[in-house]
Amino acid sequence: MKIVNQLIPIQFKLNGKTIETEVQAQQNIIELLNKLNLKGARESCGQGLCGACTVIVNNKAVSGCLEFAKSLDKTEVRTIEGLEINGALDPIQESFIETGAFQCGFCTPGFILMTEQLLNQNSNPTDDEIRHYLSGNLCRCAAYPEILKAVHLAAQKRASK
Amino acid sequence: MHSFQWVEPKTLTEALDFLSMDDPDIRMVTGGTALMLMMKSGVFTPKKLINLRTVQGNSDILIKDDHLCIGSLACLSEIEHSPLVANELPSLKAVMKKLSNVRVRNVARLGGALSHGDPHMDLPPLLSCLDASVRIQSKNSERLIKVLDLYLGYYETALENNELITEVLIPLKPDYQSTYIKCTTRSADDWPALGVAVNLHLNQNILEDIRIVIGAVCETPTMLTLTQDFLKNKTINDSVLNEAANIALTEINPLSDELGSSEYKSHLVSVYLKRAIKTIINKGANHE
Amino acid sequence: MSDYPNSLKEVGQSFPRKEARHKVTGQTNYTHHIKLPGMLIGKIFRSTVAHGKIISIDTSQAKAYPGVFAVYTSEDIKTIIPDPYYGPAFLDQPILAINKVHFVGEPVAIVLAEDIHIAENAAQLITAEYEELPAVYDEIEAMSSDIVVHDELKPSGTFPDLKHLHGKKNTNIALDYHLKRGNTQAIFDSAEHVFEHTYHTQQVMHTPLEQMVSVADAHQDQVTIYTASQSPSFVRLEIARLLGMRENQIRVKVPHLGGGFGAKLYIKLEALVVATSLLTKRPVKISLTMEEQFYTITKHPTTFKIKSAVDKNGKILARRCDVWWNGGAYADIGPRVTQKSGFTAAGPYDIENVEIESYALYTNRPPSGALRGFGIPQLVWAYESHTDQIARALNIDPLEIRRKNILKEGRPQATGTIMKGAEIEKVLESVAAKIDWSKPFDKGTGTIRRGRGIAIAFKAAVAPTTSTAIVMINADGSCILSMSSVDMGQASDTSMAQIVAEVLNLNTVDIKVSQPDTDMTPYDMATLGSRSVYHMGKAVKLAAEDAKNKLEKMAQDLNLSKPYHFRDVFIKHYGMQAGSILGFGSFIPSYTPPDKKDGSTLNATPFWMVGGTGVEISIDTETGHITIDRLINVVDCGNPINPKIVDTQLSGAAIMQLGFSLTEKMNLDAGQVTNASFADYKIPGFNDIPLVIENEAIEAYQIDGPFGAKGVGESATFGVSPAIANAIEDAVGVRINELPMTPELIFNAMRKAQQKS
Repeated sequence: MKIVNQLIPIQFKLNGKTIETEVQAQQNIIELLNKLNLKGARESCGQGLCGACTVIVNNKAVSGCLEFAKSLDKTEVRTIEGLEINGALDPIQESFIETGAFQCGFCTPGFILMTEQLLNQNSNPTDDEIRHYLSGNLCRCAAYPEILKAVHLAAQKRASK
Repeated sequence: MHSFQWVEPKTLTEALDFLSMDDPDIRMVTGGTALMLMMKSGVFTPKKLINLRTVQGNSDILIKDDHLCIGSLACLSEIEHSPLVANELPSLKAVMKKLSNVRVRNVARLGGALSHGDPHMDLPPLLSCLDASVRIQSKNSERLIKVLDLYLGYYETALENNELITEVLIPLKPDYQSTYIKCTTRSADDWPALGVAVNLHLNQNILEDIRIVIGAVCETPTMLTLTQDFLKNKTINDSVLNEAANIALTEINPLSDELGSSEYKSHLVSVYLKRAIKTIINKGANHE
Repeated sequence: MSDYPNSLKEVGQSFPRKEARHKVTGQTNYTHHIKLPGMLIGKIFRSTVAHGKIISIDTSQAKAYPGVFAVYTSEDIKTIIPDPYYGPAFLDQPILAINKVHFVGEPVAIVLAEDIHIAENAAQLITAEYEELPAVYDEIEAMSSDIVVHDELKPSGTFPDLKHLHGKKNTNIALDYHLKRGNTQAIFDSAEHVFEHTYHTQQVMHTPLEQMVSVADAHQDQVTIYTASQSPSFVRLEIARLLGMRENQIRVKVPHLGGGFGAKLYIKLEALVVATSLLTKRPVKISLTMEEQFYTITKHPTTFKIKSAVDKNGKILARRCDVWWNGGAYADIGPRVTQKSGFTAAGPYDIENVEIESYALYTNRPPSGALRGFGIPQLVWAYESHTDQIARALNIDPLEIRRKNILKEGRPQATGTIMKGAEIEKVLESVAAKIDWSKPFDKGTGTIRRGRGIAIAFKAAVAPTTSTAIVMINADGSCILSMSSVDMGQASDTSMAQIVAEVLNLNTVDIKVSQPDTDMTPYDMATLGSRSVYHMGKAVKLAAEDAKNKLEKMAQDLNLSKPYHFRDVFIKHYGMQAGSILGFGSFIPSYTPPDKKDGSTLNATPFWMVGGTGVEISIDTETGHITIDRLINVVDCGNPINPKIVDTQLSGAAIMQLGFSLTEKMNLDAGQVTNASFADYKIPGFNDIPLVIENEAIEAYQIDGPFGAKGVGESATFGVSPAIANAIEDAVGVRINELPMTPELIFNAMRKAQQKS
């Protein structure tokens, strides 16, 4: 049986906006986001181990490089581009800047989205809880000590809002 | 990657129907993380993917007839955060917390995880030592087998091509305590070089019953029956544990790989077997 | 205006990175994201054989795959580039394999298509037939083996420090470096104690998260390359040479890199994208997968045999170093590693008699090149482990033996160069103080044992190299810094802006730093070896001063009296908000190349980097697992331009080296890398980080550095591995002499020692 490279129509909400588009069956979420000119989620290790491809789908963090784009149909998707509101940075983004929690920045959107997920579930995590939750995100520049501080600072900022 | 067709059953019956067609180019997908890796590397090139995510239901976590019953489509993260699981089987919650990473747990389903057959996985040894069973269904049949008996070899399970795991049933025994220790030998977060799952019933200082299942070092999770027999009804002390460890070594033949040599893994088994039992005895609670 | 720390306004401040907002919002433009209209994606077909003659390549099925635009081999490349070899040291690397393959993973053919899946699927349809030849993988074996990786070697002559190289025939020795000072043999013959140890390091890879990627838009007379490269000026030069074009016909544009660490240097994908763009007459992009990075450039595995003559008080009288560097199938910058790092192989110690033999070898492994540290970590692994082994054998305290032999200011280094501006003693003492070396340390008595270890090391900055910069002042008084230094996360943009702001009395946040574009940003040797702060910093400072002087002269000629704003000068001179003032700065340090016979030179380097490490560890003696309880990183980087950035560079470098010390290793099976992915090649994650990390840049001032600064990006890598090995010996009395120090390795060493006793 010959497989024709059919395009599959999908519709989903992306950072609050409705998107109607078509995807190939074998395309992953990152390929789709790139097509939509979103640069924040990146395919790096390709195995879901580094977290640079982190995307939030229906309020759960997933590895965009391991998810077919089609799976976004009828979902609500949040990417790093959705954090900023009217030019104002999210407290997590501010915290990352204040603590210098990145160097080359390639892994940073992934870390920030995972931090948001963590703080949504646990508003004041301990060092151990932070390390454990973020153990699925890798930073080759090794900004880990600063990231740990950033998460604590973000927790504080969110609490005081 | 090559293109393929999506098939989207709405119910389990529909899914089993598709499977019964005995098409060799079909694969099921639930969480899809493991399958995606195999498709990306070209190990599998399925022409049709049956998307089990579209199947409604089959994801409940409840207690029935003294069993913790979990639908095979329950997400690992649901199981991780379930208050029922936390209460009834803390060792299961504990193993979930260290299984792969948060993003994988958010999409992976219990049934998919158990069907994979990768010897390095964490759930099979723990569920095996808890005496859990899986309900396996095809279009026209249904059977119940022990999780331990699900694994036949390297990436080889007892599932036929037209079968699906639909439920996992874990007997709840309030007098028993369990734990799972995952030993990694490279970075802290890694596939285990060794997994040791222990489920035991302690009465005063006497071990009334024990189950030990070793994961990751052999092609399938391995229950240490001789070691179990030796330990039964013994008072636990260091010399008993040492002898148990020696017996354990006769029951396994670890494979050398990038996580460790056969000799080293054998040594790790003896160390962590003792530690697992001591952990339960010293802390007196179901955790890791 | 003074250059000294307490009078500075911008330099010395811990400003956030200029690109911070972009990085936290995901807006940073990396080459990874570049899309051009009509662009084709290239997928490489690679050799599955480590050493072999190419009998045939069958691309017919790939060409017939629907949607494929073209499939090329070296035959096609040669139609536009007749001599398609490149390399910074030797012109030994073909754009696509020619006649032979030299390692598993070598690019043999390439598929071009608009869709990446089509290109990938078609590439899998290519087949090649090889006549397999025997292969050599080990550096010692390669020294004398009959198996010769390359039949003919050609020098490149691009870099002056490698200019004198000429290839030998019938050998795998790409370069040999010799240093001889005094008479080591005589001392060995008469010394009270002679110690000899051999150490090994493994092949590892940088794994930047932004994988190597290049895009070319090539036309007959003008080529534009977008590339994730640390060396845009070199890319322009080399591509111009390959195409027989002028440098002004090649334009190289480099945005921020998603990590570099030395992987993205010289030519990686640029020649291939340019050639295929010319052939297809379309823009071409090649982005490697994480797996393919392992086949592209790696770190030299090494064997280092070190022999020291020591008197009964622990004074080192003579030292002989034999270092074999496993360069893999292509030289890349290996010869420079062998030579530049080679001359510091004896360590930061005052030794009258030194002999160094350093060899760069070809083998059939993936090529080795520059990786953070540039050979120094491998050398320090040996010499600082050796120092502790000598100390313990003679029952001398490891700190004391270092103090006794340390190389002090004013004393000659092994090359004869007199040491100046290297705070080796200070760094060593700071490490010792922080780790409480003089206080007793509880090693434990149960199954968990504890130990501590120290290490001290140095590195010479690469020379001679050229940096130039332009500072442009606009009519409104705003300022643009134009330089070809590449910001790969080490914050070069920010720190250079701080230098400009200091000179021009502006705010760092208001300075714009152009992204490297060889049509606009002037020549820079490359961003590597921690050279940018000093070399480019000096050029930038000169450029800012030049702009300032021109403005001041202009103001003077206009009889403008202070205080005036820059824009007042423009308005008065040009009649309106118009015009530009350009300041130019150029810097090349003085340097004397080493003597060919004895490796001596009185001017080996413009500045020294110094790094010291202290660690406290716990070992689970039942399994060999170690935990780093405390990691202390101390460096001399002169006066830090941005202290917070420096701090992150220290822990960043040290943690990266932790990975190389404990968990990372490329495994090869018949030349095939079997663990080319994060699933099986484990880099440090959050749970691998020591709970306590202390960083210090000691108070220091590089007298001729810009505002007293000098490089720091690599310094915290130097001592990590031996400090850990020394701590292991302290804890459990066993010596590990190879990397990585895995639990199994440590456990086996402990068991072996137990069985002996």
